[in-house]
Amino acid sequence: MSDRRGRSTSLTARGEPFQWLLGGALGLALAMIVGLLMLVLWQGSNAFWPRPLELIELRDGTRLLGIEVRREPMPGGEGMRRLLRVGNFDLYGEDFRWIAEEAIASTRFPADAWMVERMEWGPFIGFLIGLERDGTLAETDGDALAEAHREARRRLREIRRIERSEIGAINHELERLRLALRRSELRHGVDSLAHRAEEARIASESARLEERFAEWLRKAKALRESDSRERVVLADVVGRRISLPLSQVVRFVRPNDLSLAGKLEVYLDRWWEFLSADPREANSEGGVFPAIFGTAVMTILLAVLVAPFGVVTALYLREYARQGRMVSLVRISVNNLAGVPSIVYGVFGLGFFAYLVGGTIDAWFFPERLPSPTFGSGGLLWASLTLALLTVPVVIVATEEALAAVPRSMREGSLACGASKWQTIRNIVLPRAMPGILTGLILAMARGAGEVAPLMLVGVVKLAPELPIDGNFPYLHLDRSFMHLGFHIFDLGFQSRNSEAAKPMVFVTALLLLAFVFAINLVAILVRARMKRRFAGSRF
Amino acid sequence: MSWKSARTAHCAGAILFALAATAGAIEVDPTLPDYRPVSGVTGRLKSVGSDTLNNLMTLWAEGFNARYPAVSIEIEGKGSSTAPPALIAGTAHFGPMSRPMKGNEIDQFERRFGYKPSAIRGAIDALGIYVHKDNPIACLTLPQVDAIFSKTRLGGHPRDLRTWGDLGLGGDYADRPIALYGRNSASGTYGYFKDVALYGGDFKDTVKELPGSSTVVQGVASDRFGIGYSGVGYKTADVRAVPIAEREGEPCYELTPENTYAGRYPIARFLYIYVNKHPARRLDPLRAEFIRYVYSRQGQEAVIRDGYYPITGFIARQDLEGFDLAID
Repeated sequence: MSDRRGRSTSLTARGEPFQWLLGGALGLALAMIVGLLMLVLWQGSNAFWPRPLELIELRDGTRLLGIEVRREPMPGGEGMRRLLRVGNFDLYGEDFRWIAEEAIASTRFPADAWMVERMEWGPFIGFLIGLERDGTLAETDGDALAEAHREARRRLREIRRIERSEIGAINHELERLRLALRRSELRHGVDSLAHRAEEARIASESARLEERFAEWLRKAKALRESDSRERVVLADVVGRRISLPLSQVVRFVRPNDLSLAGKLEVYLDRWWEFLSADPREANSEGGVFPAIFGTAVMTILLAVLVAPFGVVTALYLREYARQGRMVSLVRISVNNLAGVPSIVYGVFGLGFFAYLVGGTIDAWFFPERLPSPTFGSGGLLWASLTLALLTVPVVIVATEEALAAVPRSMREGSLACGASKWQTIRNIVLPRAMPGILTGLILAMARGAGEVAPLMLVGVVKLAPELPIDGNFPYLHLDRSFMHLGFHIFDLGFQSRNSEAAKPMVFVTALLLLAFVFAINLVAILVRARMKRRFAGSRF
Repeated sequence: MSWKSARTAHCAGAILFALAATAGAIEVDPTLPDYRPVSGVTGRLKSVGSDTLNNLMTLWAEGFNARYPAVSIEIEGKGSSTAPPALIAGTAHFGPMSRPMKGNEIDQFERRFGYKPSAIRGAIDALGIYVHKDNPIACLTLPQVDAIFSKTRLGGHPRDLRTWGDLGLGGDYADRPIALYGRNSASGTYGYFKDVALYGGDFKDTVKELPGSSTVVQGVASDRFGIGYSGVGYKTADVRAVPIAEREGEPCYELTPENTYAGRYPIARFLYIYVNKHPARRLDPLRAEFIRYVYSRQGQEAVIRDGYYPITGFIARQDLEGFDLAID
């Protein structure tokens, strides 16, 4: 082709170089995105796979047992060195050791080396000595240990259940009574008759609760005592022994002795723990369930809040308002809102929602709780409202575009049949625009779920063991602070004590958040496709 | 309340304190009691403040929560400077801070409540001056550290130190500039380092201000020519803590618990938790029990788990007296 055009055609007139440029840009962008996704996917899916335990003997006689994390060349350029995760922080005061390969005399993979994941102190890497019951030590094998461990964990769960659910409910009641007393004191005055009567009633009720409280406490204590009698004794690679209650062990793994199926079982078990358990050790171990739950509840609440605002605004702008200077000004403002840095929304949310609105609500409705704030500090409601503000432009723009795409002939047909404007909008325009509106809404949810910066100011915290929804009245606690996956990533990556040990958790959590946002987007696509099909059949 | 004025009291405590020096791991002062839970402790606690203490507060909260499942504890840590406003506004029960409160912060608190905030010293932190693990530098004096990080050089070092060659390193280090890593200004670590290592001077503009203590360590770990400061709890295998001498001609001291307890390592500090306590009234049981937990054997074990150094029984008793709490 280029031959025919000859030499006189300039480069700009020819299409090919630009085609290559544009295609190349697209390719580069895609490669970067895919690369990032692959990195997160690879690192995240790898983190829980059981790795072999290496017993390394150095030339100077030192023995080390651990997991090889990575290798790199020595600074001089000769030979390699390995980073070994040795665990046993309680014994060594460090989790990782660098070892020069030239100092290594021998390495082997002993089949009886155990990796013991504990509730506290991080993993223990060493050998199993035996089980200690009531002070007598007995040898044990893998099966007996697994059996005893299952039993111990079951006992621990029962203790937890009693402490959390039973005692927790009683405590909740007691707190309610204390607040009722304070309220009556504020309303009637300390010396009034009404307050005295209330006081007597509350005292008798609390006494009854205290009795039940003591009873459950006794039960929990008895269980705890029997629990502490069963201990497991372990030794590290040089034979230093430790013993800990069996129930304090999360998992016993003998990675060098596992078949593929066994490894897969450990892998899935770790994933399950990650998804369903509470975090441990300042969030660097255990699970992220509260963060998943918090993210989900906040996102749903965000959708509930943003949908009416966004859709109503867009309806007015597109259908009712006279198109003129005023409306274009509003449009420009809405589009500008989408470009405001999200941290600004956070500051606004904190200052306006939490301090001003929340502070006023506290003064009017919860005077008995002051000075501790109820709505006067960051919480679920304020976080969702702030994010709703942040994402409302997305919904407005999407809705406007969807409304504009409904053919004029359909509106005119409806109006010509005698329908009023509102009837037309409700029955003709809105149903047709629905796929577009929903897409906008779900995109807004996806944007909100991945946002972190403003949330740090208005209610997301490092640790909030109480979920925003539970079995105590009023069930949905809008005033509670909550945990969030995005903030969890930030916290793990930048704040954890041992950044090396936290790295796998960062990738796993990032993978989870990506999956969450991906799932929301997928739902958006499916919903839109379904709705489009429905209307495709019913065209005039 | 600064480290130096507390040093006399501190040394007395150090004598009582037997360290397991051989193990590499620290042990809790055996005179600290086991924590025994009491009944009737419920409610919500909120802590707002230092990010140095963030993990430690979380560990304490986890331990406290295991004993009192009905207590819910929320922890927020964005820097020591966020603690005083939260205490004054009443949004927090505890204000963990990695530096003592400044005069104007105490004044603001006093204007609002009519009395001063009370502090407990929950742990001991030694600030490490970290370099990349392959960096051969043997020792730094405090005036040298000042001349590396500061443009004012109040420590009295005669000239600015810009390259590793200025510190006497050879090889490929000789003409490479020193890359500086530090904390952002909301952090108490930033303020403390400025006061002690910079003698109150100003940081160079080339210091990379990072949002978390762990980030500083990660920065140094990935930069062969980097240097940064961060709490001892954040040390990883990829960085090395440089031994520090207080003055030119004095011996260098490694960053070890022994040197810190004896007061030889010059940049060590207490980590504080501030509480709003009315001087004439007793503390409510919830906060009182939390403080007792911090000073128990279990609470101080959490300090070790987080990589910091536990306080001695002497300090615990001293602080608890101020709260009318017995240590039993």
